[in-house]
Amino acid sequence: MSELNAYPPHDTWHDAVTLDAKAWPKRVEHHHTLVPTTCFNCEAACGLLCHVNHATGRIDRIEGNPLHPASRGRNCAKGPATLNQIDDHERILHPLRRKGERGSGQWEQVSWGDALEDIGGRIRAAITEGRHNEVMYHVGRPGEDGYAERVLKCWGVDGHNSHTNICSSNARIGYQSWMGHDRPSSDFANAEVIFLISSHLEAGHYFNPHAQRIIEAQSSGATVICVDPRLSNTGAKADFWLPAWPGTEPFLLLAIARLLLTDGAWDQEFVRRWTNWETYLRERHPQRPAEFDSLGPALLEDYAAYTPAETERVCGVPAEQIEEVARIIGAHPTKFASHNWRAAGAGNLGGWQTARCLFFLNVLTGSVGTLGGTTGNGWNKYKAPHPPAAGPLQHWNELNWPREYPLAYHEMSILLPHFLNEGRGRLDVYFSRVYNPVWTNPDGFSWLEALKDHDKVACHVALTPTWSETAVFADYVLPMGVGAERHDVASFETHAGRWIGFRQPVMRRFAEIRGGDVGHGSRTHEFNPGEVWEENEFWIELSWRIDPDGTLGIRRWFESAEREGEPMSVDEYYATMFEGVPGLADDAAAAGQSPLEFMRDRGAYALEGDMYTPYEREVDPALLDDCEIDDAGVFRRPATPGTWSGALEELDSLTLAGLGDGSPAVKVDGTPREGFPTPSRKLELYSQTLADWGWPEYATPTWIPSHVHWEDLNLERDERILLPTFRIPTLIHTRSGNSKWLSELSHRHPLWIHPQDAEALGIEVNGLVRVTTRIGHFVIGAWRTEGIRPGVVAASHHMGRWRLDGANGGSWTGGDVDLANEGSVWRLRRKGRPESHASADADTERIWWNDTGVHQNLTFCVQPDPISGMQCWHQRVRVNPAEPGDAYGDVVVDTAKARSAYNEWLSLTRPAPGPDGLRRPLWYARPLKPTPAAYAL
Amino acid sequence: MTRLGFLLDSDSCIGCHACTVACKSEHDVPLGVNRTWVKYIETGSFPNVNRHFSVMRCNHCDDAPCISICPTKALFRADNGVVDFDDGNCIGCKGCMNACPYDAIYINPATNTANKCNFCNHRIEQNLEPSCVVVCPTNAIKVADLDNPNDETTKIIARSDTAVRAPQQQTQPKVYYRGADQASLDPLRTAIAADGMIWADTTPQHPTTSPDSHSVIARTAYTTAHQMTWKAKVSSYLVTKAISAGVMMMAALLVALGHADSQAAVGVMPAVVAGVFLAVTGLLLVGDLRRPERFYYLLTRSNRRSWLVKGAWVLGAFAAVCAAWFAAGLSGSSTVLQALALPAALLAAATAGYTAFLFGQCEGRDLWQTPLLLPTLLAQAAVAGGGAYSVADLVMEIPAPTAALWMMLAGLLASGLLISAEIASKGTAHVEAAVTAMTRGRYARRFWAGGILLGLVLPAAATAIALTADTGAVLPAAAIAAIAGMWCYEDSFVRAGQSVPLS
Repeated sequence: MSELNAYPPHDTWHDAVTLDAKAWPKRVEHHHTLVPTTCFNCEAACGLLCHVNHATGRIDRIEGNPLHPASRGRNCAKGPATLNQIDDHERILHPLRRKGERGSGQWEQVSWGDALEDIGGRIRAAITEGRHNEVMYHVGRPGEDGYAERVLKCWGVDGHNSHTNICSSNARIGYQSWMGHDRPSSDFANAEVIFLISSHLEAGHYFNPHAQRIIEAQSSGATVICVDPRLSNTGAKADFWLPAWPGTEPFLLLAIARLLLTDGAWDQEFVRRWTNWETYLRERHPQRPAEFDSLGPALLEDYAAYTPAETERVCGVPAEQIEEVARIIGAHPTKFASHNWRAAGAGNLGGWQTARCLFFLNVLTGSVGTLGGTTGNGWNKYKAPHPPAAGPLQHWNELNWPREYPLAYHEMSILLPHFLNEGRGRLDVYFSRVYNPVWTNPDGFSWLEALKDHDKVACHVALTPTWSETAVFADYVLPMGVGAERHDVASFETHAGRWIGFRQPVMRRFAEIRGGDVGHGSRTHEFNPGEVWEENEFWIELSWRIDPDGTLGIRRWFESAEREGEPMSVDEYYATMFEGVPGLADDAAAAGQSPLEFMRDRGAYALEGDMYTPYEREVDPALLDDCEIDDAGVFRRPATPGTWSGALEELDSLTLAGLGDGSPAVKVDGTPREGFPTPSRKLELYSQTLADWGWPEYATPTWIPSHVHWEDLNLERDERILLPTFRIPTLIHTRSGNSKWLSELSHRHPLWIHPQDAEALGIEVNGLVRVTTRIGHFVIGAWRTEGIRPGVVAASHHMGRWRLDGANGGSWTGGDVDLANEGSVWRLRRKGRPESHASADADTERIWWNDTGVHQNLTFCVQPDPISGMQCWHQRVRVNPAEPGDAYGDVVVDTAKARSAYNEWLSLTRPAPGPDGLRRPLWYARPLKPTPAAYAL
Repeated sequence: MTRLGFLLDSDSCIGCHACTVACKSEHDVPLGVNRTWVKYIETGSFPNVNRHFSVMRCNHCDDAPCISICPTKALFRADNGVVDFDDGNCIGCKGCMNACPYDAIYINPATNTANKCNFCNHRIEQNLEPSCVVVCPTNAIKVADLDNPNDETTKIIARSDTAVRAPQQQTQPKVYYRGADQASLDPLRTAIAADGMIWADTTPQHPTTSPDSHSVIARTAYTTAHQMTWKAKVSSYLVTKAISAGVMMMAALLVALGHADSQAAVGVMPAVVAGVFLAVTGLLLVGDLRRPERFYYLLTRSNRRSWLVKGAWVLGAFAAVCAAWFAAGLSGSSTVLQALALPAALLAAATAGYTAFLFGQCEGRDLWQTPLLLPTLLAQAAVAGGGAYSVADLVMEIPAPTAALWMMLAGLLASGLLISAEIASKGTAHVEAAVTAMTRGRYARRFWAGGILLGLVLPAAATAIALTADTGAVLPAAAIAAIAGMWCYEDSFVRAGQSVPLS
């Protein structure tokens, strides 16, 4: 009905009148201030609008922010459920310091000041004693762009560690090896064919913004194709669901590429102008004439084996379906939007070729950066400028960037416990920040062993909004805010457009609007529940404790410009940031506000600019005067990696770009154009970098048989492929366990198994199953479903939370466990399940479920892809009925086996040094790029 | 006029449950109950398999059975066509939950009142969309003004192939589905499999068709629990009421047979027995209310269309006539008893039988819609009345004891015939599902061993033997067995009627 509005008009947000839902039909009015912020559950950072009640001073409910360009006022279940996380009766409200043994559950409350003094003093000592590499910041959900990196940079510490290689390393290498940008930005809304190797209607980067636009396009006639061995909700909505064998996805994609080539349904002009086909021909087909007409036949020769019939055999997808899909793709040039982020990419050895082969279809259909195509994230993401920071780091931390993985995207975080175990280093201060590696990472018991060992980790500080399996083993647990309790600025490539979103502590903003003092002297934890703080103010304070007198040169980066000798306030920080955002100052002035005030009132800002085919932009020749043009027409700038001779003594004179080798343009048909941030400034059909760094066989789009390839399995016996990574739409890793509404919706954790497999393996309906991995086993219940490929079993990674102590939260989802250890063997056994009980929240008496799932990740060894470093999540397992004595939820692991598996996977690598004696290609992105000299091995 | 309805677009729905959570937040809905939820079903076999989503909620029927049955006008029609409710009026009788053919109403455990989707009418009042509409990522939930032909959503409903749930109930629902799999809208076509649902536990409160039922063509992969509402107290009330009514019918019969001057057995005893069991009936009724302290709202906030209200009047009038009867009996006024005989008999019949009309208002329970219910209740009253006199025969002199025997036997034979006809007759799929639950499913033992063997066969045989062999020794036992069996039958009937899934 058109007269209805989704939200009260913006000009009423400081005093919006709403009617009490419970009192209705009596008219009981409430006055609310609507404060925008952004969601901190998944990575999408959708807009939220918190309704703060004037009478109670509490947040009554959380809706979407209609001014947010990506989420447009709409949300998934996790947005409104943020309210549960704020009101969680078990949340950590004060800084805590460990009293007993690590993991004993004994804590004492400390003041923020004491915690800061202690931790700051330790970091100061590490820095002054040259032990920079003993300080590490390990981030799970960043939720922001660059703040923490700046802090580390100002400390001079190469200590940034991330969750990337349990998440997206493979996809990143796949995309980056084509276009430099390591993430896809798909213009789903305008696409005619949408090809998903993902479950973007329920998960993924970026669930809600993408789902909106995918369904919009589908409603307008776009064809949606989804490749997934499991029937996800996305597969269910797709026009074509192609359940290829896990790990064969690149094969399927190359078969489609071959059909496009044989049908002549490829955009030859685009490929000629924008790929480095000359290099490809030179390296792979030197016998053919070095002319474009050689390219089609050369590619067909390379991909001759990828016939529909062979693809049907290898992938298990009918040949006719592949041909039909290829025909549809070929019939919609330039409007092919594709996406892979995790799924097959994250599951398989060589999974990075999934994204590479998928983007090959974008290249062939000319759908790169087009309306309805897919572009690089760098063009649809805007990183707002942070205040000035110290110069590049002087150090190279081998715990994060080991020489075995010179091309890793990015830090080799899953291997940290093994590196510590091998004595590659130790950690004096280890921050786990909104990160739960014991639970989320593979091989959690190796993490547990490392985190319990004071010689390996002297001080573990958990910065977290909730209790987690990792936090209980920390030395400090410091409560940090959820989406409505913290400052962050982030931008994501959700669609063809650019925006920034501003997360803010809602009660602080409410106080500000109501005339409260939020000046320099105030701190966010004064407004949040208990003493819950936010990292950003914490980092400023901590930096002051590290360098109280300024002698280390650290403090000055965190000093107020307005009040000398005082710490910079968050208002000052973000005011500086927003002043640098193009257009924002003008729009704010038009509204009679400062940029900061404008953002506090709106929560998001859409940047202007035409983001289609940005690589075609012409570059002013005057800006290229200092450059040389190489044989391929690339403008090479002096003192950049693009012109470096390879002499180590010249290394430190180079300036490193964030991404790319510093070359500003490429000549295309005689015109200098911006091109792509690759060394060739073109899309790299042939990746010279991969060839130069030891992997010439994979320099072009290729299928690499997975470590779980079905032909290598004994399917006649009990071997199967386990898909242990799928999201469900209502949960988000370990951060949603404190939402009762989300837990009520999803708490059960069965193993998906095809009835045919269940029969063959003797697994009864609803029967218990023992799944045996290389390093142990877990016991789970079977769920027979037609929605999975026979030969494959699957269980979501969202369940299986446990707690050692009922005091540490987890009423809705946590199962009490006994944890036992003998030598290298660890056993986890359930002893309790969620059940109805009395608490401060009346809803705990209404808990009606009792499943919590099974913590399967503990039984997975590390399986890092030797190129990207990605944990290859899929597991080769044996699936059998449970044995006598097995109980639901049992997990048994031998960490000695985990170590030998680690060594085996390590042996697959081709270590640095690469060309010119470097640790890593200079043009590769890297959080906190150090000074060029640090790259020399 | 504005007449609001929803378009639920399953073509766009991605099954994300955002609507469920937004609703929980907007209305502070406790765990365990839902105003709206997303049902998942799965069809086909690999690789031609699919999962379908459909959003379930109140249908805001133009002919809303919940409004009709609500005794206290807690449920009402708002000016904009929405079926709204007022917590302040609700006595927690749960009649609406049985009247609704959509499983849309629940008892809020925090307030013990009946709640459901009210279209966020407090938001509509402020020109704001319902919270589920606002949150939905894919705009799969749309508000339509069905009286406005120019409304965009109304146009979609008019021109698209839309469907409604349970059209056979003729409630004129105003929630339209586009693109929904037919099976997902028909709870008898899908079932929760033995190994449960996709990511939530299955409890006994998750009503489902048997997966083996021939009508089932899909698997329910996700749905929510719905508590059974009328249980032992209601079954018991049917029996206590039958005794109360039956004993007065028997007394009236004895007056008609010329025994008006048998003061103790015709004047005093039946009125006392009727009064006691009527009081118990009242206690059971009030005790079954989730807000018993509000029981008087039945009279002060009456919805005169509700058979709960009419029933209260009937019970009140019957109580009055029983009191008069008692007074006449005590004073030995046989003329008054003669004058009261007909009204007493009629009110006794009304007391026994009105429940047929109350159950008839329970549009969600097809089993209870049977036209055989009224005669069955009357036959049961006859059994109870005859039985009560047979028991009384132990302690006092009863005039014409054979009449009591004949009345009980006639009631037993009639009940037997009526129940046979009921389980043999072909009804709707819902009736058949309920009859199956009663005779072959969860309640089969209660029905056959209790309702039929204990309640009909044994007492009928004993009564027949007593009549032919003139040995009355077993009669009180037979009467007690008949009444105990009656409870078993009522309980299986009441529960089986509610066992058919509606969502």
